[in-house]
Amino acid sequence: TSLLREILNNSYQLSSVPLQILFYVNGIYYIFYFLATLAMIVYKSQVFSYPDDFLAPDLALLFIMAILEVLRLYLGSKGNLTEEEAPLGLSLVITVGSVILSVYFLVWQTYVLKADVIINAVLLSTYGLESVLKVIAIAAFVS
Amino acid sequence: PTETRAAAPAPPRSGPAPVTDVAKLCVCDLLVAQCDVNCCCDPDCSAADFSLFTTCSVPVVTGDSRLCSQKAAIYSLDVEANPPERIFKLIDQVNPSVFCIYDTNYKQALSFSSPEMPTPENFDQLLERFGSATFSAEPDSWNMNTDAQNPSDANETHRYQYGVPIQTADAFLRLPSPVVSSWCSDANPAGFLINQVTKCTRSVSVEKCSNIQAVSMLFYINSSILAVNITVQSIVVQSLNGMRTLLNGSDVLRLPMILDDLCINIVLGVSYHITYTDSGEIIAAAASFVLGAINKEALSIQQSFEISFTQVNTEPVPLSGNPGYVVGLPVRAGFRPQGYPFPVECLFVALILNTNKYSQLTLLQSTSNQDCLAAQGARTPILFGYNMISGCRLRITAAMKCQPLTQTLLDLLKGQSFPEYVASFGNSQAQNVLDWVPITHLHISEQRIYNTFQSSCQIPVSLEIEVKWTKYGSLVNPQARIVNVTATITTTTLKQLPSGRERTIPVTSSVVFTDISSPAEPGYKAWPTINAKLPFDFFFPFV
Repeated sequence: TSLLREILNNSYQLSSVPLQILFYVNGIYYIFYFLATLAMIVYKSQVFSYPDDFLAPDLALLFIMAILEVLRLYLGSKGNLTEEEAPLGLSLVITVGSVILSVYFLVWQTYVLKADVIINAVLLSTYGLESVLKVIAIAAFVS
Repeated sequence: PTETRAAAPAPPRSGPAPVTDVAKLCVCDLLVAQCDVNCCCDPDCSAADFSLFTTCSVPVVTGDSRLCSQKAAIYSLDVEANPPERIFKLIDQVNPSVFCIYDTNYKQALSFSSPEMPTPENFDQLLERFGSATFSAEPDSWNMNTDAQNPSDANETHRYQYGVPIQTADAFLRLPSPVVSSWCSDANPAGFLINQVTKCTRSVSVEKCSNIQAVSMLFYINSSILAVNITVQSIVVQSLNGMRTLLNGSDVLRLPMILDDLCINIVLGVSYHITYTDSGEIIAAAASFVLGAINKEALSIQQSFEISFTQVNTEPVPLSGNPGYVVGLPVRAGFRPQGYPFPVECLFVALILNTNKYSQLTLLQSTSNQDCLAAQGARTPILFGYNMISGCRLRITAAMKCQPLTQTLLDLLKGQSFPEYVASFGNSQAQNVLDWVPITHLHISEQRIYNTFQSSCQIPVSLEIEVKWTKYGSLVNPQARIVNVTATITTTTLKQLPSGRERTIPVTSSVVFTDISSPAEPGYKAWPTINAKLPFDFFFPFV
C-alpha cells in the first residue's frame, strides 16, 4: 500500500510541472518584454529629450537584464528537471537581481510610460509566482 | 521641493522661476492691473467684468498633455445665468493613451531649460559654446569667409530716416546747443531733415584760446559723415566792431592764434548745409563759418549754429508754413511763365517764383518824406495775417500828363512785378498750379454819377488787396489756407488844373486778411430707433 500511495502521490517525480510551465511562459513573455522595452526606449529617445547620459544606463541595464533572464531561466529549468536544488537556488538568487532590475524599469527609469508600468507589473507578478513555486520545489527536492 | 545648495562665493543669477500652477497661469492677461477683454483667467477681472464677456479666449490651461494625468483649469462662461458668470473648474485630465508618461526621473524633461546667466566666470565658456556660426540668427554670417564681406560693406551707404541722428566716423554730428542754461553743450546730435538754429554761450579766454577745441574750425569739420567729408563752403571774418567780410579763398583752415593781445579765428558761427538724395543718403556736406576775434576782457562768446537740408537737384524752396500759412511769414506768389496765354496749358507748367520769398507779393512802403514820386520803389513784403496800410502823397501839377501819371501810379501801387497767382498753402509747390489761387482784379472808379465827361483822366489812387482765408483741416490743428485774393484798384478823375496850381492827393495801398472759415458744426449720431416690423405673413389667412 505504501508503494501505491507513492504512485498515487506522484512522489517519484519531484519536478514541479507548474514551475516548468511558468518558465516556458516566462521565456516567451520575456522575449516580448525585451523587444517592447527596447522599442519604447527608441520611441522615447525620438519623441522626448533623452540625453545620452540617461539613455546609456537604461540600455545597459536592459541588456544585463536580458542576460540575467536567460541565465535564470536556464538554471531554473535545469534545476527543476534534474531535481537538483543547487541550480534552482542559484536561479532564485538571480531572480532577486531580475526583480531589482524590473523595479528599476518600473520606478527609476528616465521616462516611465503607462505601458512600461503594465509590462513590468506583469513581469514582477510572474517573478513572484515563480519564486514561490521555486521555494516549494526546493523544499520538495531537499526533503 | 526646493533644493538647497552650498553657499558659493558668487551664486549665478538665474531668471525668474517658471510658473507651473495651472490655476495661476494666464496667457491672455496682458494688461497689468487691468481687466483684459474676454480673458476668463485674468485675476484683475471682477464679476461685473465677467458678465460683459462673450466667450473665453483661453478655455483650458493644462500642463503637458503627454502626462498620464495632469491638472487642468477649465474656464467657461455660463451665459444662461443672469448676469453671465465665469465658471472655473480645476480637474484632473487623464490621457487615455497607453504611451502616456507615468513618471519621469529626469527633471528637465518636461519644461524648457533656463538659460545660464553670463557671469565673469562662465562668459568665455558660454561664448565658446554659443558664439559659433551655428547659433547665429542671421544666415548670412554662416559664411565663415569674412574677407568676402568687407567690399560689400564699403559700398553700402547709410540711409537715414527723418529724425535719425547723423552718424560720423566716431560719433554723431554735433550741433552745440544750450541745454539747461545758456552754456553750450556738445552732446546735441543733428537729426536728419530737422533744420535747426541754435545759439549758445561758450566761455573763452585769450590765453587758452588755442586750447579750447570748440572755438577752432577743426572741431567742426574734423569728423566726416561716414563716406562724405565736410567741406568748407565760405568763411566770413567778423571784426571786433562787428563788421563782416567774406574771405575769397575759403579752403584754407584758419586755426585760432594769438595776435597782439587778441585771439583771432575764433569760431562764432557754423552753418551746415547737407545735401541728400530722395532715398535718404547724404551725399554732400558743407560748412560755412563766421570767424571772429576776442580781446583780453572777453570771458564768453556767443556761438550760433545752423543746419539745413537740401534735396539734391532741387532748389530750396522757402516755405511759409507746412501746410497751412504761419502768421508772420510772407505770402507766396508767382507768375505764369510767358508764352502760355491759355489757362488750359498753364495747368501743366510750373509757376515762376521770385527766389527771394520776401519779394513775391509786396506792398508800397511808406517813406519818411511821404512823397510818392520820390519813393524810390521801396516795397515791404505782405506777411500772412498782418493787415497793413501804407501810402504816400502825390503832388499833381498842371504840367503832368494823364497817361504817364497813370502808369507811374500803377507801378507805384503794384510794384514792378505784380504776381498772378498766390499759393493757397504755405508749402504749395510751383509745379502744382491747381494749388495756387489766381488774383482777381477789380476796378472801381470814384467817378461821381453826374460827371458826364467819360473821357477825363482816371488815375489810380488806391490799391486794396483783400485776402480771404479759411481754416482747413482738423479742429485741433487747423491750417490756414488762402481761398481768394482780390486786388481792387480805385481810380479817381484827375481834374485838369489851371496852370501854376498844384494839388496833393493821398495814394493808399492796403492789405486785409479776412477769415471766412465756416464754424465747425457738431455732428451727432442719429437717435436709436425701434425697428419693429411685423412678419409679412402675420395676417396670414387674410393677406
